[in-house]
Amino acid sequence: MWATNLRIIGVVLGTLALYTLIANKIPQVQSDVPRALTLGANVTPEQLVSAGDQLYHGAGGCTACHGLGTRAPNLLTDEKGQGPIGARCGKREAGKDCKAYLHESLATPRAYVVTGYEPIMPEMGRILSPQQIWALVAFLESNGGTVDVSASDIPASSTTSTTSTTSTASAGIAGGSTDPMAIIRGAGCTGCHKINGEGGAIGPDLNHVGSRLSANLIRESILTPDAKVAKGFEKFKGIMPKTFGNQLTAAQLEALVQFLASHK
Amino acid sequence: MADGMMVFQAVADTANAYRDFPLIGSRAAVWIAAEIHLMFAAFVLGVPIFAVVAEAIGIFGKDQRYDRLAKEFTRLLLIAYSATAIWGAVFVFLLSTLYAGLWAYLTRIFGPSMWVYVSIFFLESFTLYLYYYGWDRWKYGRAKIVHWCLGILLNIWGTTVMFIADSWLTYMMTPPRDITPETSPASIKIWHAILNHTWMPINIHRLIGNVVFGGAIVGAYASYRFLASRTDEERAHYDWMGYVGNFIAMSALIVLPFAGYWLGREIYQYDQSLGITMMGGFMSWLWVIQAFLIAVLFLAGNYYLWVGMGRIPGAERYRPYTKWLLVVLVLGALVWGTPHTMIADSRELAAMGGSHHPLLGALGVMSAKNTAVNLMILATFLSFLLYRRANIRQVVPWAKTGTRIQAAMFVIAAAIVLFFGIRGYFVEAIVRIGYSVYQVGAVLACIVFVTLIDVLMARGAQSLGAIQWGKMPPRSQYALFILAVTFTWLMGLMGFARSGIRQHWHVYGVLQDMTPYAATPALGYAAIMISTCVLIFLSLVGFIFWLGGLAEKSTFVPSTVEAPHVGH
Repeated sequence: MWATNLRIIGVVLGTLALYTLIANKIPQVQSDVPRALTLGANVTPEQLVSAGDQLYHGAGGCTACHGLGTRAPNLLTDEKGQGPIGARCGKREAGKDCKAYLHESLATPRAYVVTGYEPIMPEMGRILSPQQIWALVAFLESNGGTVDVSASDIPASSTTSTTSTTSTASAGIAGGSTDPMAIIRGAGCTGCHKINGEGGAIGPDLNHVGSRLSANLIRESILTPDAKVAKGFEKFKGIMPKTFGNQLTAAQLEALVQFLASHK
Repeated sequence: MADGMMVFQAVADTANAYRDFPLIGSRAAVWIAAEIHLMFAAFVLGVPIFAVVAEAIGIFGKDQRYDRLAKEFTRLLLIAYSATAIWGAVFVFLLSTLYAGLWAYLTRIFGPSMWVYVSIFFLESFTLYLYYYGWDRWKYGRAKIVHWCLGILLNIWGTTVMFIADSWLTYMMTPPRDITPETSPASIKIWHAILNHTWMPINIHRLIGNVVFGGAIVGAYASYRFLASRTDEERAHYDWMGYVGNFIAMSALIVLPFAGYWLGREIYQYDQSLGITMMGGFMSWLWVIQAFLIAVLFLAGNYYLWVGMGRIPGAERYRPYTKWLLVVLVLGALVWGTPHTMIADSRELAAMGGSHHPLLGALGVMSAKNTAVNLMILATFLSFLLYRRANIRQVVPWAKTGTRIQAAMFVIAAAIVLFFGIRGYFVEAIVRIGYSVYQVGAVLACIVFVTLIDVLMARGAQSLGAIQWGKMPPRSQYALFILAVTFTWLMGLMGFARSGIRQHWHVYGVLQDMTPYAATPALGYAAIMISTCVLIFLSLVGFIFWLGGLAEKSTFVPSTVEAPHVGH
């Protein structure tokens, strides 16, 4: 019986050792706590780029998608002969310089979903502080372009929180703007709905939504999207987030409802 | 509102909110206590489910062997139940002393449900004692039915206790969106906190997972007793028990991924960054390890069945097929284990010649993986089917037609799986996700209808000889041990994935972890922790098995009596 017991112990320990060994042989990646960033009035571009580099490859979690080029464009390597992101960012949107484009892409990423990719990027303002976002902009610019982020771009507030979930929640989407199209882009509506020549075809077309739904029904559809699902879109029930009631300010919600109701 | 913030986040920030644990640190201490408590809890919640089913087969099928089996399961429960309570107490003491701030926060919201939990725990304990100690007293007639109802009641209490505890941990993972760091916990309605995004998916996933885990541990118990047996009768009994344990574990394992998909979908819906962290972020390698473990489960489970066919007269007819089943399982496992989205630096990307490996990249996507896992499930089901009909010859006049229909169903199901797998490469992601439903539907329909036909075809079937229970080579029993260790390790790994996606948050986006252990460790460290927990758990379970052997000698059936297959 002792021999059997020893064999059982051997099988158990051998199996455990094998699994532990395999898990230790693969690349080891630890999820670090985002470090608080304190940027003084005299912050240099080099300091910003360095901080952004650490965020990009670490706590920002950017490489999970942008490091591959399948879920999201690879930002640090050449794409379609346009060079890395610092070289191509200024050409992406007419009349928008690289700095503005990158900052808006981080704050409201669904505004500029590159063709061929899904609108999956979270609003980074929910995860990172304004200082951290500007540091990321500087780092991305430094990859093939010129860094023009300076201390004057960074909010005067010396708060060094590691997240800005709170501020986003209270300020609403798109920095609290009541411009309906800014809200629509910031909330990622165009990821699924078409309006004013933008957007996809997963959800109902919103170009003439005002002729189909009253303002009250539009409001209800934004706040509880699954309450009434448009005919022909039943299989997409459950996809639209149910969180806009918490994310939008009252003023934003009303601006959005009136805007959509006017689209007859 | 601001008061809440001041009280709770500030409390969490101060030294009083945290204490350290000597040598291993507070995180490791809580990790070990929580994990081992959870493993025991899964066992004591899973085993009553099939103890009640086995007792029902004994009552309504008039087969006393199942009744004895159910009693033996329950005897193991009795001792494991105490261990669950002890580790639960250790966990609570560690959490309340080492993470006092978090504990204060959670009790402020969930206090009333904790009292309900304790009350039901009492009811569950006494129902279990009544169920076990009343076994021989309420053995016949109506009393037996009442006894069986006690078993059902035991399951109701156990499931309720689990649902309550699940609400606490799912709240930490996916707190309702309107709850922010400024929200005072005193103002949070308890039902609002309980009904969070992942509560029900976790409940269902754990319910099925517990059955899988319980089956695997029972299988290991039976294999231990088989190897220690001194008589043929003992060997026959524990051989049969091991088969039943493996059957339960593998059957429930087949449906577990569907509950997992639901949970993953809810996590993505709640917060895409949580989902991306889990599937494509720093945890991406974890899924490759998971694929390896599940491949081991499929291979070991099937190997046990194939070896078991050696003791079934007539099974030699099907032996040539096993090598093809092995080919499907190995190829499926290789595809499932092919990595897709992983963190790679520029040097690694350059070495691959792009973001994906030129050859393997196409196999690392969901279309290929879903196809692979569905074909593996079909192959495993076919193994069970061959095992089931190994020692019988159908005598119904339509037996040949029935077999052809069954074969056609397998071919059609495999063709549907392959068709949508290939088509998935050419459509948008949102359409591709929907294809997995068709693939799963085809496999489940095949399983249901083929089983139905098989049951009808087996009516009055001619026996080719009794199953020689006990005539199993010892190596088959080690496969059951590997299954139990792998299931337990997999549970620890998935627990790490679920808990780890919160990263440096106690309550995601609401209450931050301010300890030196806030960073989420890499997989290597997690693996050492998981192995430590599994080793402690299995050592204690081994002790319980030994006690189980001391407590009562089992009753056996003569090895010459043909035991029915499960499902007959």
